[in-house]
Amino acid sequence: MALLTDEPIFDRPIPGQSLTAELGGRPWQNPPQYSTIDEVMDFYMERMSSEEFMLQAIDILEMGVPVTTLANTIQMANVMEGVHTLDVSMLALPLIMEMLMLLGDSAKIEYDTGLEDKNPKTRDTLLTKLALQYQDVIDEADLAPNVDDDEEDTQEEVKEEPSGLMSRRD
Amino acid sequence: MLDKSNPAVAAYLRMDIENLPEDKPEEKNTGLLRKPSSAKSSGLDLNNPAVRVGKQMQVIRKYRNEINGTSD
Repeated sequence: MALLTDEPIFDRPIPGQSLTAELGGRPWQNPPQYSTIDEVMDFYMERMSSEEFMLQAIDILEMGVPVTTLANTIQMANVMEGVHTLDVSMLALPLIMEMLMLLGDSAKIEYDTGLEDKNPKTRDTLLTKLALQYQDVIDEADLAPNVDDDEEDTQEEVKEEPSGLMSRRD
Repeated sequence: MLDKSNPAVAAYLRMDIENLPEDKPEEKNTGLLRKPSSAKSSGLDLNNPAVRVGKQMQVIRKYRNEINGTSD
């Protein structure tokens, strides 16, 4: 996947790091705890309904972390712990997001869903500001062509004297 | 900024639960020879895991709408 940033990323695994553990030594290399989407949905519904999870999630959403980022982190953590596989987690992602938004709504907090593109608005605002800033200058500027200047230019044409050795002299 | 590298964005936007067909209430069998109605008759393929997720999301969305006061 193409990266959207030019900044260097330092928390990447080094090449060959995946080969440093024995095959099957990691939780995600073993059969998952829950293999079907129904089991995974039940797992998340039960876990996200606990008071401890709710309080933590509300705190994180209140800090301004987008729902999309939080949902992705939750599913990734569970894949790494071997709870379910990555493909099942892709199916469960929208459900986790909906559940997080339900928590945010029930707690009456303002949260970022991460689904809105905020950039065009910011760009519009900046362009409008810039246009307003220079509006007075544009209005005051005299954009009519200056005829006098052109006439002076034609009159001031100077005959150039030949300067080379081989040039013909009068 | 919309984070396109996050799979959650695409997964959520593609779920499109607003356009999921509504479940019709199951008709009671009145006779022994009456054909039992299947879930497919309402246009829903409940064997599809994405549809099951969508149905679950619809329930949660309904609760959210009730909380926000945007329910019909």
